[in-house]
Amino acid sequence: MKLIIIDYGSGNLRSVENAFLNSITDNNLKCNIEVTNNLHTISNADYLVLPGVGSYPDCKKGLQNTKGLIDVLSEQVIHKKKKFLGICVGMQLMFDYSLEKMRTPGFGWLSGNFSKIKAVGKDYLGRNYKVPHMGWNSLNLKYICHPILENISEKDQYYFVHSYYLKTSETSQLIASTNYCHQIPAIVGQENYLGVQFHPEKSSLSGQKLISNWLKWKL
Amino acid sequence: MLSTRVIACLDVHGGRTVKGINFVDLKDAGDPVEQANLYSKTGADEICFLDISATYEKRKTMLDVISKTAKTCFVPLTVGGGVNNLDNFCELLNCGADKVSVNSSAVYNPKIIRESSDKFGNQCVVLAIDAIENKAMPSGYEVTTHGGRKNTNLDVLNWAIQGVRNGAGEILLTSMNADGMKTGYNLQLTKLISENVSVPVIASGGAGNPKDMVDVVLKSGASAVLAASIFHFGIHSIFSVKKEMFKNGIQVRGCEN
Repeated sequence: MKLIIIDYGSGNLRSVENAFLNSITDNNLKCNIEVTNNLHTISNADYLVLPGVGSYPDCKKGLQNTKGLIDVLSEQVIHKKKKFLGICVGMQLMFDYSLEKMRTPGFGWLSGNFSKIKAVGKDYLGRNYKVPHMGWNSLNLKYICHPILENISEKDQYYFVHSYYLKTSETSQLIASTNYCHQIPAIVGQENYLGVQFHPEKSSLSGQKLISNWLKWKL
Repeated sequence: MLSTRVIACLDVHGGRTVKGINFVDLKDAGDPVEQANLYSKTGADEICFLDISATYEKRKTMLDVISKTAKTCFVPLTVGGGVNNLDNFCELLNCGADKVSVNSSAVYNPKIIRESSDKFGNQCVVLAIDAIENKAMPSGYEVTTHGGRKNTNLDVLNWAIQGVRNGAGEILLTSMNADGMKTGYNLQLTKLISENVSVPVIASGGAGNPKDMVDVVLKSGASAVLAASIFHFGIHSIFSVKKEMFKNGIQVRGCEN
């Protein structure tokens, strides 16, 4: 199997590569990883991972800098049904648009948009809610059974760092959520494509479990 | 519910970990890569590397330390010390750092916060503030640089607010009076900044035992606690700190019952 981590100048490519490599080795999987923006290589891959840190408009611009990249991604994911994982801003790009800095359209694969986290009131210790939502949080798993959640419980915690959250009326896309001031979708997707708002590559053993589940997930 | 983070800090000089009392009289506490891995395995929520090397050549060794650490250590890594421009940011992030902290360079070139947060996102920019008590300042605290050796005539509260306005996504607040003393965090300083900025504040400087961590969270509203020496020399483990926090009603990672 060939896994591509899409290279469009996002800062955390190495971390994502390291975490996936570790999971592949631990699980004895036969899978090669390449970090690239080469359209031909991407078209010939089996699995696609889109990382993303920084602002939504910057990530979108980074993708647009490689001519034809977004079209190739949509073709491979929506039409050819390749297994896809979007991470953080990579997940956010799967939706209609974000209001970060300015209204920027995403790929429109899933329905919803991103607004700033409403940090009002105080937390259980009387502290003001801070934005970004930064740190380790647990998942609410009551929605559906999904292979990505194998062996993952509400005791597992994941590393989040983001200021914008998904607003959607399409509840069938929701696989897990988290709570920070209000409910925040954490794992979303349908069919062959999934997105995670948190960083599995930075979520220690809980992150490794999720990455392994995604790698082993049979469509 | 969001867990309160416990961050292990490693002061690195020429590729080796050190920790001094009030930043002088350094003691060797080992290999940073090995230590970072041990910390992440024993429950550290983040690792913070602070490069205190004085020369460019020695700082180069830091890139190697980060690359090696990022290969096996899957928790967020923050790196600071000697970060003067966007190229420095780029190098560190490419090696596997998740966040970069700026301290002296932000004082001498305040534009670096705006430029780096525009380019890499505010989640990636940590404003590190070394505060000393100074009654002549409006907030009672003055920003210092160079490990507390140079005064800046900047008020800590104003500086923190301005830093957040310019795009810092987090504040790493060190009390230089408390640093290395093991007598507890500066609760008044931490509370002042936590209550007046919209981003998370990491309390640093002065941790002597797990109860100090509990106090700075409950009494000062810190989003995260950072310590170096009490972890290095095995005085207290990260687990014992988390257990104490959990016992006191603070949500932490990896301590359920």
